[in-house]
Amino acid sequence: MDRKSSNRYVVSVLVADRVGILKDITSAVTDMGANIDGISQTVASGYFTVILTATFKKSVSTEVIHGQIMQNFSRDEAEIVVRPYQEDAVKRVPVQGNRYAVTVTGKDRAGILKMVTAFLAGKEINIEDWYVEFQGRNVTHIGVISVPRVLDIKQTQEEFRQLLVPLGLTSYIQHENIFRATNEIGPIESLLDEKR
Amino acid sequence: MLTKSDIISTVRMLQEENLDVRTVTMGINLVECAGRDMKSTAALVYKKIKLKAGNLVRICDELSAQYGLPVVNKRLAVSPASLLLEGHSRVDALTLAKAMDKAAADVKVDLIGGFTALVQKGMTPGEKILIESLPEVLSQTHRVCSSVNVATTKAGMNVDAIRLMGKTILRIAQATKNKKGFGAAKLVVFANIPEDNPFMAGAFLGAGEPECVINVGVSGPGVVKRSIDRLIKQNPNCSLDEIAEEAKHTAFRVTRTGELIGRDVAERLGVQFGVVDLSLAPTPRVGDSIGEIYIAMGIKKLGAPGTTAAVALLNDAVKKGGAFASSSVGGMSGAFIPVMEDHALAKAVADGTLTLEKLEAMTAVCSVGLDMILLPGNTTAETICGIIMDEAAIGMINRKTTGVRVIPVPGKKVGDRVDFGGLFGSGTVTNVNCPNGSAEFVNRGGHIPAPIQSLGN
Repeated sequence: MDRKSSNRYVVSVLVADRVGILKDITSAVTDMGANIDGISQTVASGYFTVILTATFKKSVSTEVIHGQIMQNFSRDEAEIVVRPYQEDAVKRVPVQGNRYAVTVTGKDRAGILKMVTAFLAGKEINIEDWYVEFQGRNVTHIGVISVPRVLDIKQTQEEFRQLLVPLGLTSYIQHENIFRATNEIGPIESLLDEKR
Repeated sequence: MLTKSDIISTVRMLQEENLDVRTVTMGINLVECAGRDMKSTAALVYKKIKLKAGNLVRICDELSAQYGLPVVNKRLAVSPASLLLEGHSRVDALTLAKAMDKAAADVKVDLIGGFTALVQKGMTPGEKILIESLPEVLSQTHRVCSSVNVATTKAGMNVDAIRLMGKTILRIAQATKNKKGFGAAKLVVFANIPEDNPFMAGAFLGAGEPECVINVGVSGPGVVKRSIDRLIKQNPNCSLDEIAEEAKHTAFRVTRTGELIGRDVAERLGVQFGVVDLSLAPTPRVGDSIGEIYIAMGIKKLGAPGTTAAVALLNDAVKKGGAFASSSVGGMSGAFIPVMEDHALAKAVADGTLTLEKLEAMTAVCSVGLDMILLPGNTTAETICGIIMDEAAIGMINRKTTGVRVIPVPGKKVGDRVDFGGLFGSGTVTNVNCPNGSAEFVNRGGHIPAPIQSLGN
């Protein structure tokens, strides 16, 4: 199916987690003759959220798609957003660079994410994924970020560290290959090939 | 795609379990520098080291920051210095060593290995000069390390060379008596010396190696110990094969960090990548100890019956994990037991549970030998020779590397404490049983023939 067609839509659903949600969403979309060509889902603190893109065979309105998915949920159970896909969405990602993992650990307090994300945005660093884990009063933030090649990583790491030290937070920004090397089994050379 | 648990487990290895790259060692071939005039030879040696290794430390530091992985030591290993000493004098040997020392200092590496002679079958005049110059060289330089290979499985054991080494070790200790004999800590006497070992003091660039090469030594005893701790916490009755499996998996992960750094450093420097050597090499820090691993496995007093089996289990698991992780594994690749550099081993020696004889048994199944062991100052040359011969015999017969790095501390007796500081650690002077019982055997000299390679029981 031609993914550049004007019949491509982006769908987002937020709902309290239960078994079968993804089945309810994908079956509604597929039964309308669409091919799902992009999807990412996660669960945070008991809430399920998914974002997907789907290309339909025939022209269809956003209201019809919304209504079809909503049929599989009880009234007020889910928040659903459907929008036409904009072809330049990928191009709007500001930078292509090396992928790093960022970790921030310490005692939880309000404002950590605001401070961290403002720092990253100020450096044109794109956040691709973000997770938070709590252990008692301590929090661990884990992010996967894309760092522009022109950025001095040593200086960025140091500025980031100094930003968070006054809050009693420990932080690291490390190239993704160290994590891939320790968790994957493919040849190391292939990781370096990708880095070039 | 990285998962949360991938990131957390790796961060834990790095931040809590002391995972690091212990050494990035650049091998440099210096043979082209040989000449009749030592002044010009030394100048060429200095120039070549500066040219090849000038950017080594900077690039290691950059990659260390990028990966968040400490590269603890940056070092050099050169082709055997004895090859540059044929036709020269002891004074020339010192001139050469000082040029190596200055070059190492100027490129900001902490140690340079390769003041080396391979004398397992016989000794050339240059090799004899090198050995005889060691008291001056190791007392008047800071960074130069030396190694002498006295036996191989194929050539047998050169007892005449060992006799020279016994006397030389005592002279080195005397020449550095103001530093408690520290000079002897920079010399290893080997059997079956590896040509690509990145770890000091025994690193050198072998004859079969490239012109310039990056070899990496990774460690991580803390990571292995914590993984075994976690396993036992989950399953207090876990079996030894489960412990071996855990150690193997951990070794796999540790080895791959080393290869990642090594290949990246080599590529940026435009030189060949050689090997990654996963050897569990301890430091004196708590949490970075090989002895702690054996204690975690259940050997509550190091040296107790079962200790050698624990060493064998760990050594084999490390090799298997490393071999699966990378096709470029070399060097020693196993578990080290450098007594002074490991607080748990040093304590066991001080407590008297771990004796020289038990350490010798452990070396039969671990990756090196009697390493960083303090001897009484009045130990005779013949006794040191006997220790070297026993250790070389283990290596020669079992087709493995063994080494001896002992320090007869001038003026010290059994039970005295000695502290070298830093990575070299501290320890207690060890008792040698029957110290005068083998002089007649040692003094016969000659050569022990190469062992038979069939009838292998």
